[in-house]
Formats: sequence, structure tokens, C-alpha cells
Amino acid sequence: MGIPEIEDAGCLLCFGYNGADSHPIVARRIVRGRQKGMKIICADPRVTETARISDIHLQLKGGSNLALVNAMANVIWNEGLADIRFIEEHTKGFDEFLKVIEKYTPEYAEPITHIPADEIRRAARMYATTKPAMILYGMGVCQFTQAVDVVKGLANLALMTGNFGGPSMGIGPVRGQNNVQGACDMGALPNSYPGYQNVTVPEIREKFEKAWGVPLSDKVGCPITHVPERILHEKDEKKRIHAYYIFGEDPAQSDPDLAEVREALDKCDFVVMQDIYMNKTGLYADVILPATAWGENEGIYTCADRGFQRVRKLIEPEGDMRPDWQIIADISTAMGYPMNYKNTEEIWNEMIDLCPSFTGATYEKIEKYGGIQWPCRDKSMEDKGTPYLHKDGIFATKDHKALFYGTDWHPPVELENDQYPMTLSTVREVGHYSVRTMTGNCRTLRNLEDEPGWVQMNTQDCEKMNLKKGELVKILSKRGYCITRCLPTDRVKPGATYMTYQWWIGACNELTTAKLDPVSNTPEYKYCACRVEKIQDQEWAERHVMELYDDIRAQMGIDTGKGAES
Amino acid sequence: MNYFVKGNPDLCIGCRTCMIGCVVAHEGKHIFEVDPDSYSFNPKLHMVKTARLSVPVQCKHCENPACMAVCPVGAISQKDHCIVIDTDKCMGCKSCMDACPFGAINMTVQTGKVQADGSEKKVANKCDLCYGLPGGPACVRVCPTEALTLVTEEELGDAMERKRMEAARNAYRETHPQE
Repeated sequence: MGIPEIEDAGCLLCFGYNGADSHPIVARRIVRGRQKGMKIICADPRVTETARISDIHLQLKGGSNLALVNAMANVIWNEGLADIRFIEEHTKGFDEFLKVIEKYTPEYAEPITHIPADEIRRAARMYATTKPAMILYGMGVCQFTQAVDVVKGLANLALMTGNFGGPSMGIGPVRGQNNVQGACDMGALPNSYPGYQNVTVPEIREKFEKAWGVPLSDKVGCPITHVPERILHEKDEKKRIHAYYIFGEDPAQSDPDLAEVREALDKCDFVVMQDIYMNKTGLYADVILPATAWGENEGIYTCADRGFQRVRKLIEPEGDMRPDWQIIADISTAMGYPMNYKNTEEIWNEMIDLCPSFTGATYEKIEKYGGIQWPCRDKSMEDKGTPYLHKDGIFATKDHKALFYGTDWHPPVELENDQYPMTLSTVREVGHYSVRTMTGNCRTLRNLEDEPGWVQMNTQDCEKMNLKKGELVKILSKRGYCITRCLPTDRVKPGATYMTYQWWIGACNELTTAKLDPVSNTPEYKYCACRVEKIQDQEWAERHVMELYDDIRAQMGIDTGKGAES
Repeated sequence: MNYFVKGNPDLCIGCRTCMIGCVVAHEGKHIFEVDPDSYSFNPKLHMVKTARLSVPVQCKHCENPACMAVCPVGAISQKDHCIVIDTDKCMGCKSCMDACPFGAINMTVQTGKVQADGSEKKVANKCDLCYGLPGGPACVRVCPTEALTLVTEEELGDAMERKRMEAARNAYRETHPQE
């Protein structure tokens, strides 16, 4: 499905996805769809902006996603709302799937999800009977130790209701970062070359070896979230990581369990950081390579709906910095593999010729049509790409059939306990993007929100602890703590807390757990046990926060305006 | 009749682009060039979020404004369909803040001016519908979901017309339930 198709869906199931904060431009489509009469079911533990305008808000308990998804499947089947013909003609494995979801009656799911059984029924009926129905999911699905299972669970819902293969239907991952789709498309994954071509397949490896004129490894690489472990605890000397080249990423801010990340960066023999501004990771770098920012670059981004889009240079970069591709080419040349590209189009042309699904997406076409959604296999101008996948129910498997995959729900890894009675989930806020490397340097956005950020807490919890809006509090987990401001709100449930992860002082990743989904290797950012403590001496706390902030800025070499020598 | 900007909570996504648009419109583009700490960030509208509502709140430009009535120095006046504050005349007494039933007025620093105690001059601040600026209210222009509209006399007239039509239809339906 394409992003523009959202507003023409009959029903939107928005699951663990808060568009207003993470993608306002996608949120605009949701709002517009609503105006056109689209039904909205929003599954989210918070009252998000989408929840506010939804027909049904399933305010589930954090960490109960799969129980809810399986219960919806159970209702759709038991109430005869499934599309039997689609299931028979286009899918496999439905009987096995039915055995898994049999026990997930709404009554079984109610105590797990904290959603009344009849609400689950109502949502399942609305999703199954309003056509076409589309699913959007975000980090509220992906950032759990049970993440891939839930994605498959949502796909099951779309399969069993025949919601695949046409416009404004299907299931759409709305990605966690700008161009994360592009990074994956280009093979910035441990297991694939560009175009999702697996490194373990000999013919593919040989194709790339021939094109690039070098022998290539046939082994899957190391996922980013395994890096600290591979630096700190790897016993096999040959497998231990000694050098870490990081660009456009700030693991010392964005990765879970920051104490462990800092230890890893400290112990790592050689760290290279390539970014547009100084950030926390930069404090551990042996070498810093200054890169150009988006307005200074040429290239292509891929958006969440597989759409390649041109990025154009607005201004010439000033000073000692270069575009990422030029830095990479120079490093490669210095390491003995000369790269002599003249421009980004040359790199792009080499890449599309090696990737069958991208071959037709030439600069010329992207320019002419404004964007091309892959697969686009033919270079002729007639092949305008693929707005939605699996047309007419023909899936990208050997026998063209989709596979049902059912599995049981399991709870998150670290549950509330006596010492840490509340839960913490990390979230986004609209003004600041990702780790704030960019937006933290944008003055008006800093005017709206600045250090040390907020912890969203239910008003009842705040009243019990006598916490007022804006008061500094200490929030702790068994891994660490930070100081932030209290934001009482009825948009979150009692017992749950939410923090955005970009603040240097209110750094919630000091608290998060590095437990991963076994398939995607994504950490469980959305659930860990925590405790909030009142700080009696607020004046001290305010001073302390300012000192911490000034200290970080001084370490980063930012002029704090407190003397020319700094 | 005075105009006003109205927010639609069904369209608003709470992003506060309107607040930044407001500041940039009033401060001018130089705020992107000066020292980030040297300008004051004073939006003239404020995002309000409750459990089930998100919408910016700003001056209604009342026809009989309480703020204008209470101002002891005549700093508030009606000009071209809007109520504006003359910040040079404003003495910072906060009476208008007190009088406004919508909480649409706050006190802000007037950059570059000094008051009696030597600190930066503080004045009353509220929406002026971007009075004197080209293109109309900036908040309306920058809103990504078109949640804000400038309500003019014509606009209001059309809306009332629609409501009257709807009322008439309802009356008809009540007397003809079978149709």
C-alpha cells in the first residue's frame, strides 16, 4: 500500500502507531480519511491524537499486543466474518493457525489486555466488515521482545479478511526513522546486499563479487544491537569487535541500557563517528568525520511505502565537511579499494543494475514521476513501479500463496515488581526527531521543548505522589536513572510512564532493557519496570540539571555563552 | 465585525507548528540568524491538550472586548476587523489578562526595550491576526492538517446558512418520519 492510499480506506486499524508524533504528514492522511468517513480503530495504551478521533480506542495494557490480535482473529473466525474464498485460494496454514487462536476468546484476552471482551468483539467486527481495511503499525509493535510475531499476527488479520492485493488495504509498517526503508533497501542489514539479496546465497554473492571485483564473505554479519555484547563479552578473540564505525546514528543516546553502551564504546579499541553535529557517541570517538546535512546533499531516500524520492542540494556546504558518499569513497580508496564515483547517480545506476526489484527506478523516472515505488523491474518509462504489493492475491512466495503464522502471546521480559512498581515505555514527540542531533540544534523547536524533557504520568499517580506539572523527578530502573520533568496527563493509564528518548539529561535509555526480539533484534524499548521518586529540593534539582547540561555542552565543545575560553 | 481564528479539534494533531509559525511571523526571519538566546519566543496562541481534546486557543477578537474596556492607558484598540495591543503604550498592569475569559492574553518580554527596574520590558501579548503582515494569519497558513480557519463575516454567514438549512431539514424529517 502507498501512503496516499490511507485516506481512501474504509477502515483503518492503527496499531501501536502514533502518527501525529512520529509522522505528521502521514497523520494528515489519517485525519483526511476520517473527514471522508473512514472508520478508525486505534490500539494504543495512550490516548494518542489518532485515538482521539477513532471510532474505537482499544486502550490496551502495554505488552499485550499479540493477545489482542489473536483475540480479534478468534472473533472474526467464530462469528463467520472471515473471507473463506480468499483463504482457500491464496493462503496456506490456516488450519494450524486456527488451533493457535482457538483459546484466544475475548474473555480470555480481557484480563491480559485490560480491554472489555465486547470491545474486542466490536473492533473485530468493524475491521472485518468494513472494506477495504488497512492496518498501520509502528514502534508500538516493533519495540517489544515479541515483535515479529505481532507483525505476522496483524498480517493474519488482513489475510483472513481478504484485505490484500488491492488499493487502500493490506498492512503498512510506518518506519521508525526517516529513510530506514532506504537503509534496508540498500543492504544496511547484516544479512543482505542491496535489494534484499541474501549474503548466504552463492549465486548472489558471486554476482556481487563479479561486479565489485573482490571476494565477499558468505556469512551473516552482526546486528547493531549485538555490538555491545560482542565488544564486552565475546570470548572468541577472532569474533570480538575492535573497531566500530558509526554514522548517522547515536547509540550512546538511542540504544537501550546506556551504561552498557558507554562501557562498550569505552572498551572498543577504535571508534569512528560520522555525523552532522556533535552528539553523545562523538564523546567516545577516536575520529570524527563531519558530514553534510540533508539540504547540502544529493541522493535518494525511500519512504515507508517503498517510494524512492530524489533529495536535492539546496545550499553548498561551508567548511570542512563532505557528503557521506564522498567520505565513504575516500575511506575505501585509502583502504585499497578505489572508488571513483563522480556523483550519486553513478552510484545509483551501479546499484539498480545489481538489484532486479530496483532496476527500473532510474533517476530520470524518479525525476519525471516525482517518485517510484519498488518493485520496478523495467527501465522503460511505462513501468511506473508498484503502489501496492500482492496484486490480486498473488504473493511473493514460490507457490504465490501467503502463509498463516500463529503463535502464542508471551509477556514482556521485565515486569513490574515491588521495587520498580511502574512501567516505562519510550516514545516520540513531534518537535524532536530521533536523537535530536538535528532538531536539538533547531532553535524554534528547542524553544518549544528542551532539556531535560518530560515523563508522562497519569494524574492519579501524580496526585498520590504529590507531583505537580513541571516538577523535576528522578526516574529509576535496575539499570540506571535520570532526572526529568513530571507531566501529569489523563492520556496515559495509571501505573504506566512514557518518556521521549532524545534528551541528554532526561535520557530514558539509561533505564531501558537491552532484551531483543529474537528475529528482528529490536530491543524492548516499550516495556521495562521503573520507579518514580519525588525530589524534595527542587532548587537544587534545577541547578543540578543546568550543571549537567552545561557540562555535556562543554564536553562537546558547544559554546555555552559563558566565556570565550569555552 | 471582527474576525478570529478558529481551531477544529477533529483535524488538529497537536503538533504546535502554529505556535512556531506565529513566532516567526511576528519576530521576522532574522530569528534564524541571531544568537538563539537573544530573541524571545512568545507565541500568541497556545496548544491545549486534555484527555480527549487537542486544539490551539487564541484571542476571539470580541466585539465588546473586556480587555479593551479595562485597559487604563487605552493600549488596546479595534483596527481592521481585529483587536490589537499597542505594546509601546502598554504599562504591563495585567488587567487585560485578568479580564479575558479565554486565557488568551499573557505577559511577554518586548525585545530591546527596558522597563523601570532595568529589566526587559514586559507587555501584554495576544493574537493580532498577524495585523499588518502579508498573507493573513501565519498559524492558518502553516497548519499541516488545515485545522485552523480565519473566520470572517462571510465565512460566518455561510456557516449560519448551512446550519439553518440543516435545522429546516430536521424539522421536515420530524414531520415526515416515513421518508
